[in-house]
Amino acid sequence: MNVADTLPVEIISSTVNRPTCPMTTPLDFTRRQLLAQMTTGLTGVALSRLCTHDLAAATQQQPHFAPRAKQVLQIFCPGAASHIDLWDHKPELEKFHGTPMPGAEKEVTFQGKNGNLMKSPWAFAPAGQSGKMISSMLPHIAKHADEMAFIHSMTSRTNTHGPGCIYMNSCFTREGFPSAGSWVSYALGTANENMPTYVSIQDLRGEPPNGKANWGNGFLPAQHQAVAMAAQQPLRNLARPISVTDDDEQATREFLNVLNTGHAAIHPGNDELRARMAAYELAAKMQLTAPEVSNLSNEPAHIHSLYGTTDENKLKAAYAKNCLLARRFLEKGVRYVSLYCASRASNVDGLLNWDAHKTLKADYERHCPIFDQPTAALLTDMKQRGMLDDVLVLWCTEFGRMPTHQEGTSGRDHNPDAFTTWMMGAGVKGGVSHGATDEFGRRSVVDVTTVYDFYATVLHLLGLDHEKLTHYHNGANRRLTDVHGHVLKNILA
Amino acid sequence: MNAPTTKDKRVNRAPLNRRMRKIFNQIQWSALFASPLLESIVNTASKDGTCKLLASILGVLALLSASSNAADAAGMIFFEQRVRPLLVEHCYSCHSAEAKKLKGNLYLDSKAGWEKGGDSGTPAIIPGNPEESLLIRTVQHLEEDLKMPPKKPKLSDPQLADLLTWVRMGAPDPRDGAKIEAKRGDKSWWSLQPLPKTFSQDSIDGFITAKLTEKGLRLNQPSEPRSLIRRMTYDLTGLPPTAEEVETFSIAHQTNPRAAVETLVDRLLASPRYGERWGRHWLDVVRFGESNGFERNFIIDDLWPFRDYVIKSINADKPFNQFITEHLAGDVVGKDNPQIEVGSAFLVAGPYDDVGNQDIVAQKNIRAATLDDMITATSGAFLGLTINCARCHNHKFDPIPTEDYYRLRAAFEGTVHGRRIVADPMQLQAFSTTTTPLTTELKELEAQRSKLEQTIEKRAKDTFEATKFTRPKIDPNGTDESFTATEAKHLRFVIHGLTGDYQPGAKLKRGGGGKLTEFQVWSSSEPTRNVALASNGTNAEGAKSSKAEDFPDAYGPQYCIDGMLGEAWFIGTPAVLTLSFAKVETINRITFINARGDRTIEEGKVRGATPCEYEIQVSMDGQSWRTVASDEGREPWTQAHGIERFRRNSTTDEEQQKLGAFQKQIAQVQTKLNAVPALPQMWVGMHTQPKEPTFVQKGGDPMKPSEAVVPASLNVLDQVAKPYALKADADEGQRRVALAQWITSNDNPLPPRVLANRVWQHHFGTGIVDTPSDFGFLGSKPTHPELLDYLATRLLVHGWKLKPLHREILLSQTYQQSASYRDEAAKEDKSARLLWRFPPRRLSAEEIRDTMLAVAGKLQLEPMGGSGFRLYKFTQNNVSTYFPLETHGPETYRRAVYHQNARASVVDVLTDFDLPDIAFAAPKRANTTTPLQALTLLNHGFTLDMANALGSRVAKSENAVSQIFRLTFQRPPTAKEHEAATALINIHGLGAFCRAMLNTNELIYLD
Repeated sequence: MNVADTLPVEIISSTVNRPTCPMTTPLDFTRRQLLAQMTTGLTGVALSRLCTHDLAAATQQQPHFAPRAKQVLQIFCPGAASHIDLWDHKPELEKFHGTPMPGAEKEVTFQGKNGNLMKSPWAFAPAGQSGKMISSMLPHIAKHADEMAFIHSMTSRTNTHGPGCIYMNSCFTREGFPSAGSWVSYALGTANENMPTYVSIQDLRGEPPNGKANWGNGFLPAQHQAVAMAAQQPLRNLARPISVTDDDEQATREFLNVLNTGHAAIHPGNDELRARMAAYELAAKMQLTAPEVSNLSNEPAHIHSLYGTTDENKLKAAYAKNCLLARRFLEKGVRYVSLYCASRASNVDGLLNWDAHKTLKADYERHCPIFDQPTAALLTDMKQRGMLDDVLVLWCTEFGRMPTHQEGTSGRDHNPDAFTTWMMGAGVKGGVSHGATDEFGRRSVVDVTTVYDFYATVLHLLGLDHEKLTHYHNGANRRLTDVHGHVLKNILA
Repeated sequence: MNAPTTKDKRVNRAPLNRRMRKIFNQIQWSALFASPLLESIVNTASKDGTCKLLASILGVLALLSASSNAADAAGMIFFEQRVRPLLVEHCYSCHSAEAKKLKGNLYLDSKAGWEKGGDSGTPAIIPGNPEESLLIRTVQHLEEDLKMPPKKPKLSDPQLADLLTWVRMGAPDPRDGAKIEAKRGDKSWWSLQPLPKTFSQDSIDGFITAKLTEKGLRLNQPSEPRSLIRRMTYDLTGLPPTAEEVETFSIAHQTNPRAAVETLVDRLLASPRYGERWGRHWLDVVRFGESNGFERNFIIDDLWPFRDYVIKSINADKPFNQFITEHLAGDVVGKDNPQIEVGSAFLVAGPYDDVGNQDIVAQKNIRAATLDDMITATSGAFLGLTINCARCHNHKFDPIPTEDYYRLRAAFEGTVHGRRIVADPMQLQAFSTTTTPLTTELKELEAQRSKLEQTIEKRAKDTFEATKFTRPKIDPNGTDESFTATEAKHLRFVIHGLTGDYQPGAKLKRGGGGKLTEFQVWSSSEPTRNVALASNGTNAEGAKSSKAEDFPDAYGPQYCIDGMLGEAWFIGTPAVLTLSFAKVETINRITFINARGDRTIEEGKVRGATPCEYEIQVSMDGQSWRTVASDEGREPWTQAHGIERFRRNSTTDEEQQKLGAFQKQIAQVQTKLNAVPALPQMWVGMHTQPKEPTFVQKGGDPMKPSEAVVPASLNVLDQVAKPYALKADADEGQRRVALAQWITSNDNPLPPRVLANRVWQHHFGTGIVDTPSDFGFLGSKPTHPELLDYLATRLLVHGWKLKPLHREILLSQTYQQSASYRDEAAKEDKSARLLWRFPPRRLSAEEIRDTMLAVAGKLQLEPMGGSGFRLYKFTQNNVSTYFPLETHGPETYRRAVYHQNARASVVDVLTDFDLPDIAFAAPKRANTTTPLQALTLLNHGFTLDMANALGSRVAKSENAVSQIFRLTFQRPPTAKEHEAATALINIHGLGAFCRAMLNTNELIYLD
């Protein structure tokens, strides 16, 4: 079998071994055939223009069945955002506050010994028609409770942030596996050739635990990795060097085309040469489009104030800008946007992210106000624009926290046995909760859910069968969901 | 139905046979199954249910010889009527290609399936002999532990009789038309067979040409000299030839092509650049990376000796059986020889989790994952097997039992990641000779000083115990200092000592290293207010002891005046907090707080040290300062603190002088000690004797150990390579030596096959097997199986050396043919896997970068080894972050193989062009074309620097265009190119031209 002939049409060519992608090419021609059909009478520039134009129309691939969602917005709060202090209300914790957890006195977890049960420092309040109990620290987000499907019975396979984050993103605790966004890019391709397919928006405070592995392509071809962009961080190498003028650039590119066209003409049968010429044309388009999309100054004042982009809290303002950027990316057809609120571990637990080991109250009084209003604004804004018909929203963190306090501190240690995530938007039933933890939130006990189930559901909503989306690597036909996963049917609209 | 058996009528066979043949000769049997006749027979039979018609036909037919068409046909009819429906209904759900999960590795949906049999290893049916047929015995429930169909009622007697009859008939079975693909491999799998002794061809070209001829194809014409030398030079060195080399070769090639090529090949194989290029290939295979990955991803600065070892070994053409042995057990076979010992760094060159997890279960899982990395790397690199797939269960596709995985684990059980001194005995002796007198002297001096200090301390302690303090000790949750109301525009908190300095066992820090969450300054006028708050316009300054490159605000002094207890200032050196008020304030009190949270919290765990010796100073101009308060009179934080304070006052001048003299002498000796070159320390891993036997872990779960295994050879290869088994408590090092000997024994066919394939892969772009570290069932099959075996055999003939094998390949017509494209050949074999042309390729990431440096005249070939250079900025703040550099300075102009490749780091040019992240071995590079590559090559500073350097090589020349074409492409420009280039240079300068040249396809694609 000629591997190259089975490649789906993409912007980007790849000769990497890809024998097992189950996607059937929906088009009557492959990119290679398309390029082969080009007449030689055109100039190089026109040729590659034509080819990028046609490619754009051809880069959307077909899912396995009719999708409910076409794009994904993933909001990720790294550091293990506490389920029992944000989403999973546990009245028993208040009742038994200060007493040992029955049957688990002095349990040793990630950082060491645990103390007694500790109630949440904040009250919970009923939200929306559904009356969902949500922490009073998240008043803005709580207004969307009726649109959300909470999954309270999540479990992780690791108690460590880095492996936990990549597990939540790739279903494997070790690096080297493709992130969910990469799989979606691999399966569905781009919806706008002038923008990257998969964008990762980092927090002002830096990368999440395990950094770039969270949006890596693993063993999938490189074009499926996320491009890192944020309000504070433009796309790398996008800008032309200052020393090069517009005219220089134009002339350089034209000369380059003369050389490449001549070279391609005497090298028939090597489609990569024309693909690379096309990639240069796309790069030029990206240079025009990306700064335009990233420019928030055209947004009206009421939108800025809705998100809080000018808040005096620098971290909140920065995250608010990233929320607004996420909406603009999605509007431009970016397939998968990962938006991070907080970053990695530092020399103080809970300083840069949600890892409240020692001073839960002080930590979350800093993190919640950064997260709450801008996130809620993004949801409101997308809703009023009708974007939630196509966009599936995911909220994730890598695991939960203990119902006890860490010995000698007023914070909580890691808890991989229970945490909460939620989904909303395209194809998701609102105002429902799936699964439950025990009375204290120590363990998931009802409808215990895995990250595999989570992504089986995400893929399902995108019209993909998680058992059929595969790629061969080092001896196995790999899946996003490894060899597990069941679609969570009761949260589907 | 009373199906007659063959047995009772066999006597009468001959006459019947003759008679029936006459009848059946009139029928077109080949069309029988499609014919209305059969349909009518079958229909009739099933409609009336008596089957009399069919029975009578069969009764006759069954008497016929098995070789007879007629008999076959009748048998087929019986099969279709009686047997197939039964098999479909009762067996296919577990024993067919459609089975959701194939059971017992047995297919009953094809004749080949039952002939081959399942896990039993024998045919499921012995035609004519139902008593010996396992299938019959299981359905008759004669096998105690194998009763079929499982968990269902036994088949009915008539059904059993049908099956019995069918087998007695010789089990006629038409199901051989469509070849049923097996769902997994067994020990008959191609790659597990011994290497053959004889071959149908005796040269590479022979094998290639034979296959091409089969497909109606042929080799291309020989390549023209420029393409050939470019191809060979890149192939063997990863660098372009110079224009002079191209010209010299072209001339020599015209007169005597073979001699010219031989000379070239010999020159390139002898070049040190060869080891750099082929060493890089090997580093991909062994997942060599210079940071530990996972959450912390710390950089590893002393693994580069392994990289140098690989390059040197490959340059020296070290036999690979020896090379592999050194990888697995260099520390044992090369004890006291650092040059060999370093090979075993292979074991610890992969990622591992060092987060310091306190959870016992998590610790065991982390250890299991760490060993898994070694097992995966070993089996993939040397054996081309995915033994790692057998961690939780028997391999799903290859005949690898889960015990094999744990046998391999037993070999590595004693290995842990880490660094240690690797030196030969001479080095150790020399070091000891130099340092021993110095350390002895140092110890003596320190002892004398200690004696004097004890005297002073005794005195200080007495004074401390006799002293009454007037004020309480400082309180981390809030300490007030009041003073006479004073005007101030500036205030500073000068810290002389921290509580942490006086904890038992603490090292004196004198200020730096403590924390403050809040610092308040109170106005003297009522109502009193905190004038220090940033919201009042106050500014705070002070050094920090910690920083986060990606978040500059972290740990800053501004947290002291934010009105919140959450975040703290990490007190740096000098330990001074300086506040500047928006206007002159009248103040009479300050409060400093070092508290987080609301619970009684432990100093060491949460808070960090608090200032306990300090002065408060005020100023109007920020220049001259006046002290208004201090810790004077406060009870010391601890006894140690009290003694230390009085110590300063209890020391006599004479003692002070003596102490000073000691200090000076000690410093002198220390300087001499520091000047002795340290013994080389390397990241080669540590080895200790395992305390426990190795257990199979059920489902791969370390908490579920089942039976123990011993360090031993792998069952998967027991029919070809001579097995071994050590004792459960065998010496740790000997376990790895035994494994290495078994892997590299000449009867083990996998390593030479896998290695020969890797060599071929890097010469032609694709291996004969396209999955170079997976020769198992899911891997791809060889395009030229016999050629692969031939190459593997040649490798062994050459004593496991690569250079002679390279030579054979490079001197072949197959390698030297042109890359020209031919439509008609491409129709048959588009990607030229059969090699009707030399497959063109794009340069690798390293080649692209090195080429840019080379053509710009900037490439630094020395030093050939040592610490790597970095194209990122490494920062560490609990975890590591790698920021790609905007500017690549001349110190980075070495070959890319010397780049310190940290995991999960992204660097421009290299990452863009598919340098793999080394989370896993990358035996095969991806080859992608993306717009991001274009952005990098157009806009990154590196391209501009190289373009300028290239331009400056010819700046003064009149014929810049021709010269730059010669430097970049080793050819002159065409007239059209010359004209376009001249026009570009005239308006936009040489820089624009060179920038374009570095972005051309011709620069990075090879014929």
